[in-house]
Amino acid sequence: MKKISRYFILLLAVTALSCSQKKQEAPSCCSTKQHESPEPLPAVSGESLFLLDSKWETYRNDTLKFEDLAGKPVVAAMIFTNCPSACPRIVADMKILEEGLTTAEREQVRFLLISMDPKRDNPEQMQKFASDHRLNPDWIMIRSDRMATLEMANVLGVRINPLDDGGFDHSNTIHILNKTGEIAYQQHGLALEPTELLKQIRTLIN
Amino acid sequence: MSIVYRILFSSALLVAAFNLRAQTPAGMAMIPEGNYLPLYAGNNRTSVAPFYIDKHPVTNGEFLKFLESEPGWKKSAVKRLFADEGYLKHWVSDGMYRSAEKNSPVVNISWFAAKKYCECQGKRLPTTAEWERVAEAGWTVADGSREPGFNEWILAMASKPAPRSLPAVGTTKANYYGVWDMHGLVWEWTLDFNSIMSTGESRAATGSGDGLFCAGGSATSGDVSNYAAFLRYALRSSLKAGHVLQNLGFRCAADKK
Repeated sequence: MKKISRYFILLLAVTALSCSQKKQEAPSCCSTKQHESPEPLPAVSGESLFLLDSKWETYRNDTLKFEDLAGKPVVAAMIFTNCPSACPRIVADMKILEEGLTTAEREQVRFLLISMDPKRDNPEQMQKFASDHRLNPDWIMIRSDRMATLEMANVLGVRINPLDDGGFDHSNTIHILNKTGEIAYQQHGLALEPTELLKQIRTLIN
Repeated sequence: MSIVYRILFSSALLVAAFNLRAQTPAGMAMIPEGNYLPLYAGNNRTSVAPFYIDKHPVTNGEFLKFLESEPGWKKSAVKRLFADEGYLKHWVSDGMYRSAEKNSPVVNISWFAAKKYCECQGKRLPTTAEWERVAEAGWTVADGSREPGFNEWILAMASKPAPRSLPAVGTTKANYYGVWDMHGLVWEWTLDFNSIMSTGESRAATGSGDGLFCAGGSATSGDVSNYAAFLRYALRSSLKAGHVLQNLGFRCAADKK
């Protein structure tokens, strides 16, 4: 009997120990972050999207952080590849904008599509979308996980409502970021003349 | 030999019992699998997987502790991308609230800050569905609409002007699940607050926002007596994640594993 109780005490000690260890691990999200020194580039303001430390996966299987987009203005939109009508339209609007730029101007601008459907938009699916829509090879198309996607939508002010059929209701917005990642202009709505967007981009590259 | 087996068996039992007890984290309530009636869904109840939710909104005191390990979220340091100018404006200085408000819910807080706080506790913000499911509960029954006086009480709470200094958490009334302050203290952020469309944008005809803001009538809304839910949905649809309000706080939730 003595033996048994000794086992029990040992067991209790082990269980208690493992629990207290668990508790210590919990707040590590805070402490490790600090050691990573996510110190932003000095030129970046407090409103820059380059402050986001989320990691994204491109349709070319590369990884991307938003700070990688520094140096050129970005024309961006959130879409999903299974989108029946609005997303192809928004991509078409971005292509019309692209065609409105001179070759020299075009070289100074990035085009970015951000998936709001991280579950289904894997690199292959995004690759297919890019080729179906004949996107120029330097267009960037990315996805991340649910939390990073939600954060991105909230940074851009895009509303996304998941539907039962796997699709989404969503804002249709084209965003223009300046060279340092701040939102310089947002166009809400579809099939608008690209006049204002062109004007905005030109002020950013000159 | 049999003693060894007996020891193994009883230790397994003990470990199991310990785990069972440890399942609901301290300060949280377990909400079993169930469903709730979204405001816009007619009579189609939406099912919600089981989860844990904080019994109280996060307080000023708790938020200050978080700032000790995350100084980047202090009033003076926070990036404008993540919070508007009024962030923590009710605090008397960069690192201190009015002492009487230690146990009051932290407000003037952005979605980004709330999300980060919860992540640092190993938790997350509750989804709108989860929040509303808990908010449906009365004091003694899971469906508060069946509890005499419950709806009236919520309405009375909702129409009460906000006091200058917010009372402490846990001073309203606990609901059926033992969760406090779902009504009558502050509005609360949800993880997916931005899923409410004020105009059904990509599929205008089917957009779920339509049923919400049909002035005067509310043909597609599930429970027209639920005026407080209308207020919450309207607020969520008007918010951006960097916004801060003097009566908007948050609490955290966690998946039930």
